[in-house]
Amino acid sequence: MLTVAALALVLLAAFPDVAHACPVCFDRDDEARIAFLATTGLLTLVPLGLVAGTGMWLRRRAREIAEEEERD
Amino acid sequence: MSARASIIPFRPRPRKKKKLVSDAVLGMILFVFVEIMLFAGFISAFVIIKARAVGSVWPPPNQPRLPFAETAVNTTALIASGVVLLIAHRMFLKGKGLGEGRTSAGASAGPAVARGGLLSRPIGRLLVAATVLGGMFVALQGVEWVALIREGLTITSSTYGALFYTIIGAHAAHAVAAILALAWASLRLGAGKLARDVLSAVAIFWYFVVLVWPFLYFVVYL
Repeated sequence: MLTVAALALVLLAAFPDVAHACPVCFDRDDEARIAFLATTGLLTLVPLGLVAGTGMWLRRRAREIAEEEERD
Repeated sequence: MSARASIIPFRPRPRKKKKLVSDAVLGMILFVFVEIMLFAGFISAFVIIKARAVGSVWPPPNQPRLPFAETAVNTTALIASGVVLLIAHRMFLKGKGLGEGRTSAGASAGPAVARGGLLSRPIGRLLVAATVLGGMFVALQGVEWVALIREGLTITSSTYGALFYTIIGAHAAHAVAAILALAWASLRLGAGKLARDVLSAVAIFWYFVVLVWPFLYFVVYL
């Protein structure tokens, strides 16, 4: 039993193949692949944009408050 | 005890630093971030399901088409509501249009106006107009939904129906909540108890409802 398992493992290791499991990279349908890529981009960039936008707004606000306090 | 010892040296109290963002506004911004991600997820799901539709046929056969042209009227009402609120919000922050009994625009959180009639102030009229336009959007959406259900598009009729009612229904729920918040802010303005940060928080929520709609409109209806 152990010999058979070892042989199977050796055979499997000897003949690897690409799995093509990721729908973002390997979907056969062009339209679906583009949709996956676009939505991956959207869901990656939206939170980054929100954090960056808020950071910039807070920085501007801090500057405004500092200027106001200097004037007073 | 000598006279010298009884003199307490004057030390000016350190001035309280101005807050970068009020608690109400910060809380609303964080809430809106969560909601933006919710709708980004909805849009992603819709785009992928549409792209993988059987035989690339979308909308599915024997399902009614969404009324793109008619919904343009709702969209116009919603955008007009957002613009009116933006004008009212800016006026309020500058201390304009508050009528008699207004306080200075520099106050950051406290009550900003004195008691008086809501419609006697320009800001009051603008807030009511924004609320009514928002209500018009939701009412027209309701009429559209009734027509679509009569034509056979229900939440269980197809993936198309399920997606439509989930996404547009989630937006409608947000719109109703924001309209109630706007109406409440208008009442507080009438009672002279509307604070700047409260109006700002309500306005941020309404801007979100208004700005997310064009994306939904073009992705779902087109």
